[in-house]
Amino acid sequence: MDVLTKLDILAGAAKFDVSCSSSGVARKNQGGTGNAKLFGICHTWSADGRCISLLKVLLSNDCVYDCCYCVSRRSNNIPRASFTSRELADLTLQFYRRNYIEGLFLSSAVEKSPDHTMEKIIQVLTLLRKEYEFHGYIHVKVIPGADPSLINRAGMLCDRMSVNIEQPTEHSLRLLAPQKSLPILYASMQQLKDQILLYKDDRRHFHRTPRFVPGGQSTQMIVGASQDNDLTILHTTQALYKNFGLKRVYFSAYVPVNQDSNLPALTSVPPLLREHRLYQSDWLLRFYHFKAEELVDANHANLETEIDPKSAWALRHPEYFPLEINRASYEELLRVPGIGTKSAWRIINQRRVVAISADQLKKLGVVFKRAQYFVTCKGIYPGNMPYNPAAIRRLMLPKPSFTQMSLF
Amino acid sequence: MDYLYDGSFDGLLTCIYHHYYNETAAGIYQQEYYQPTLLLSSVAVCTDPTLAKRVYQAIEDKISANALVKVYHVYLSSSPDKEELILNYLRLGFKLGAKVDLYHSHSAVYPVHKLDRKVTAETHRFLGLLRFRDSGNFLYAALSPDHHILTLLADHFADRLAGERWVIHDQKRNLAIVYDGKGHCRDNSLLQFKWYLTNFSYHMQADLPPEESHWQLLWQHYFQRISIESRCNPRLQSHFVPQRYRRHLLEFQIPPLKQ
Ligand code: SF4
Repeated sequence: MDVLTKLDILAGAAKFDVSCSSSGVARKNQGGTGNAKLFGICHTWSADGRCISLLKVLLSNDCVYDCCYCVSRRSNNIPRASFTSRELADLTLQFYRRNYIEGLFLSSAVEKSPDHTMEKIIQVLTLLRKEYEFHGYIHVKVIPGADPSLINRAGMLCDRMSVNIEQPTEHSLRLLAPQKSLPILYASMQQLKDQILLYKDDRRHFHRTPRFVPGGQSTQMIVGASQDNDLTILHTTQALYKNFGLKRVYFSAYVPVNQDSNLPALTSVPPLLREHRLYQSDWLLRFYHFKAEELVDANHANLETEIDPKSAWALRHPEYFPLEINRASYEELLRVPGIGTKSAWRIINQRRVVAISADQLKKLGVVFKRAQYFVTCKGIYPGNMPYNPAAIRRLMLPKPSFTQMSLF
Repeated sequence: MDYLYDGSFDGLLTCIYHHYYNETAAGIYQQEYYQPTLLLSSVAVCTDPTLAKRVYQAIEDKISANALVKVYHVYLSSSPDKEELILNYLRLGFKLGAKVDLYHSHSAVYPVHKLDRKVTAETHRFLGLLRFRDSGNFLYAALSPDHHILTLLADHFADRLAGERWVIHDQKRNLAIVYDGKGHCRDNSLLQFKWYLTNFSYHMQADLPPEESHWQLLWQHYFQRISIESRCNPRLQSHFVPQRYRRHLLEFQIPPLKQ
């Protein structure tokens, strides 16, 4: 089989993996090809509007596992292919020197056994790092259940690793991916966490200590394949950040690929809006000092789809607003819909030298359309009406997309 | 008095110098594009590197290093009134010092910050959107950016592709960065990037070495295979890759593949 055919198959099989980020590691070229930048670089955007930063392929799609939600599952009758390590290393290097990509995202189906697959991944990494002296970004997916010593070896050669938990609960995972189990996945995450800390600490004392997964670890959950609600998903997410120090949790709206009684019908549409709201909530958790229990609770077990999670929170907490722009703390400002981390910081900066009035908010990067209802500037409420949460909600809801005007 | 400069950054800074130590400038213009008026006299300022150096140093010392970078970025932008914006910003800056950048919404500061962000953003964008092809002797990339960002791209590629010979060609401005691959040095401390900016209007031949066509084909296939059909969203794609950038992007030059 030629490389073109393999690439067609193995890129097509990798496309449902979401993470494509290349950020978090700064490394200069050390006398070969490539470096890594702290802030990720996107190289192009595919027709679905997702950023392409890394060459994202499976090493093989020849799987012995049978996860319901996956195209590559054993019981599917599809063409199978595997790259040789040389083929994949060449592909990476040649794409990289033409600046098509920022590096490699290497994942694989479980070919023969987890350990066998992990060994093959290490071969590719060794070839790239040692023989080709490639210093670009590499993200490796941990094959579930691979031996800790193999995970360790791979971690010495790559920038980021991810253990995908796929489902937020053991129950759903058992149901949809019978050969996987959360305790095993969590054990690998724990191993990564411990070793990352260990090597980091060592490097503080001994400059020559090699780096171990300097870009940290991430994970991914499929949304909409199981019955789990946003409450479960966000609490799992929060726990993952807390327990394993993850850099990112990615969500992937389930795209129906298989017919199965445990799955949504083949005709169902991927829940893209829900995925979007989950990502917004994830930002609130990571950068806006929110807690999962503030965004969803027993009465609101799912995020609202028609309004973003921060606005939804603000409307449920009228007692908190309106906030005076010239006095509110940074943390308080972050709670205002329409104010982001950058604009909050600009507000703090500018008011040190001059008080801020409402007409300046736009220039400070504030989304005035939303923020106007939740703030006062020098005591004046710019919202064009008295502060009234119910009325604000009506104004913030999206306009019905179908508005036929009656002429008679 | 209108001051006219030769288009170089040093020239612009020389004008600023004269604004403070000779006659106040009513405006600063690039000589090439200047439209004389009956009301104001103008003088062509002779670029003087020593005077420019002093202004350069003064901005760094009296305002901030950050402000200097901002001014340089605005100078590289294609805004028609960039000289005026720089002059206004510096006038306020020399009065207020480093604090000038806290006045985000001030009319002399806001436009400078905005242009600085635009130039920085375009630079960052092209770190990803640039495409090289291997002519057999050297790597060649063409682009037509909105702003004059070549010099801001150079260090990045000089480090990343340290062992290669390459040319990055701004086709809009007929300029190029040329790098001879000799900055490649195993001893990290001696790593020096030897690139230079030069006039360039050479046109690459259309036919490619077979090796190159092979990798291009693979990339085009990859680009299409990685997209999820049921998430197709051309509007979002256009937001990230505007039409004007696509001319130089290999992956946008092909008819869709069969699934
Ligand atoms: S292990 Fe499961 S998810 Fe991974 S390739 Fe095999 S079937 Fe698909």
